[in-house]
Amino acid sequence: MPTGRSWTDPIADVGSLVRFRFGAARPDRPGGARRTRLLIGIPAAITLAVLLVPAAAAGAGSREGYALDLLVILPTAATAFLLLTIVSAVASGGGRELLSREHGVAYPVSPVTDHLGALLMAPLNIAWLVQGWLLLGLTSYGAGWRALLPAELLMLLFLAAATALGQVVGWSVEAVRRARYGVVAYRGLVVASLALSAWLVATDRLVDVLSASPTVHLAVAVARIQDGEAGYPLAVLGVLVALLVASVLAGIVPATLALRRPPRDEARLESGTHRPRGDARSDLMALARVDLSSVLRSVPLRRGLLTLALLPGLAALGGAIAWDMLILMPGLVASGAALLFGVNAWCLDGRGALWRGSLPVDPDLAFVSRAGVLAGLLMAASAVTIALGSLRAGLPSAAVLVALLCAWLVVTLQVTTASMRWSARAPYAADMRSARATPAPPAVMVGYSARLALSTTLLGLLFSTVAVFGVWWLSVVVAAPLLAWWWRRLGQVRRQWSEPTTRSRVAVTVAA
Amino acid sequence: MTDHQSTDAAATAESHPTPEPHPDAHPSGHGVGGLVEVRGLRVRFGAVEAVSGIDLDARPGQATALLGRNGAGKSTTMRVLAGVVPPTEGTVHVAGHDLRTDRLAAQHRLGYCPDVGGLVPRATPWEHLQLAARLRRLDDWEDRARDLLERFELGAVTHRVTAGFSHGMGRRMSVVLAAFHRPAVLLLDEPFDGVDPLGVEATMDVIADARAAGACVLVSTHLRELAIEACTTALVLRGGAQVADVSAQELAGEDGARAYRSLLD
Repeated sequence: MPTGRSWTDPIADVGSLVRFRFGAARPDRPGGARRTRLLIGIPAAITLAVLLVPAAAAGAGSREGYALDLLVILPTAATAFLLLTIVSAVASGGGRELLSREHGVAYPVSPVTDHLGALLMAPLNIAWLVQGWLLLGLTSYGAGWRALLPAELLMLLFLAAATALGQVVGWSVEAVRRARYGVVAYRGLVVASLALSAWLVATDRLVDVLSASPTVHLAVAVARIQDGEAGYPLAVLGVLVALLVASVLAGIVPATLALRRPPRDEARLESGTHRPRGDARSDLMALARVDLSSVLRSVPLRRGLLTLALLPGLAALGGAIAWDMLILMPGLVASGAALLFGVNAWCLDGRGALWRGSLPVDPDLAFVSRAGVLAGLLMAASAVTIALGSLRAGLPSAAVLVALLCAWLVVTLQVTTASMRWSARAPYAADMRSARATPAPPAVMVGYSARLALSTTLLGLLFSTVAVFGVWWLSVVVAAPLLAWWWRRLGQVRRQWSEPTTRSRVAVTVAA
Repeated sequence: MTDHQSTDAAATAESHPTPEPHPDAHPSGHGVGGLVEVRGLRVRFGAVEAVSGIDLDARPGQATALLGRNGAGKSTTMRVLAGVVPPTEGTVHVAGHDLRTDRLAAQHRLGYCPDVGGLVPRATPWEHLQLAARLRRLDDWEDRARDLLERFELGAVTHRVTAGFSHGMGRRMSVVLAAFHRPAVLLLDEPFDGVDPLGVEATMDVIADARAAGACVLVSTHLRELAIEACTTALVLRGGAQVADVSAQELAGEDGARAYRSLLD
């Protein structure tokens, strides 16, 4: 039997895995085809909109005013995107897995296939999508209709190259983390990075560093395209293509190294002991304890929550973001946190779902516990972000402060409601042990990410606009009906959960 | 189980205090009524009928084996009895409670070891027991829990998350969770699957203790010999329907194996 492998085999394997994983969105279920169209259609529509709509707006492509301002901040936004891809890859243990470790263990999935799969999965997180759309939108408005096509081609290439570069760093850090004493070395690296960032901010050198970023060539290339020049943009294009190819190939080395080493974080968590606590004082508390432990003892969830709570907050702190911009933060953080597990909240029970279903407890109480733990974690992560961002934002006006608090409450309730609804309607068996795990198949995650990004950004913009009027009670007036609406929707989901057929379908699916 | 194992099992049973008779048990040792009564049970998942008409009576002190090939409907029947999957048609009474109208009361009286996993991956065995004890309103449960964990050789991993457990350890822990509150109805779905001989022995003890206390036990398994060892009666399922309701001894030995094999085709 021939065992030699061609260099194209990993690419073919990725194709097979993509078909397998995207097939898990189950278009054969009743209404599944429509749902799949929605899942793919919404992000595609948003991408098309951010590519075209800004270029058609008044003042787009102008060398003065708002269009020029956007071109000036383009390099900083691109650098922020590169940092984001690095942090995402590091936080997800090198990159999200196309096939879960448990399912893939019997198959010869090579590290190269795993690396290419992780690259494909990288855009499937809310921060990547939002930042990517932001960059495409900025480029569209900055370039205008005339230069749109070549400018966006450059930006799309940059997004791909930055993602591949982030993956190289992610795999390298994971290889270190899985080495002997790697966890200590990794923590030292994180502390050193934070200290360096703090020093740059404290000494006012952050702007100098960002100005020296090579991403400045992107903005220059867009400007030259507007001037009708081809040489400079073509050179930038060549560099981006070379960077993309080199990064994709270079990532194979650290990926192979990392994947050959045992995942120490997961092993430590599974073999460590947890001191018993006293008996809970109520049924709800007993359920919530187990639910909370299921989140905090999961490597991807704990790491993801920490990253989501700290990263936007530190970015806001470094950039000295104003209070009115902070209003957008709770939505971004809550959506990201929900995508870690909330959109498939019952998967936390894993194979214990059938046993939990046999316990004599009111289903309403189990629902309140799970939704409460989810909402609490979303609020806590957003609170850390807001607290960090507020440190250099000065004193807020009453109107802005109330708008921020209202936005915080409304997006938490909206994201919790959407998550619990999706969790009951479309459960998936997901093993959240691996740092690289996701709670649902890729196609489903794309749809969830896009819908959450859209709704929470719109809510953030709504409260930012309301805050401009300077009347504190206006935010309360706007928030009250929104809270009432989503509270009512959450009640509908709870009633749906109280149906035995719904609970049995969820339990049997997540325990499979 | 071999004779040697039977002797060991008897010795182990002797080393533990005799369980108190179950409240539902008749003083004579025979039940006054069925602890499990199933009539015309049907379960459909969309177009697929997983269970298509099962009748079952299980009395206090009786152990019933559910036997059959993969997809025969054994696990679905167990899930219905545990209150996890609702029946599409038919009536199911557990310890006198209708599962449709009085599910919580029925679940207070039953203990269930599911066929797959059965453990919350990031909770420790102690936390599982703590949650079950709280929801089942048990007082002074700790000694019983420690005793069972030791009997199933899980004492050393009491405070470790179950995600790191081997398959066999998970099975043993699932049996502990099903049995530790001394339920009136003990439902064990594939309790011997991948379990070592000591684990099998401990499970046999649990079944014997439950029967002695007047509980009724249902064991779903592919392992005919162990089913015969543990149970008094056997229900053979095929394609979601019951094809035989016989004494376990009728399926023993080579003749029994032949009879069982003929029921599967």
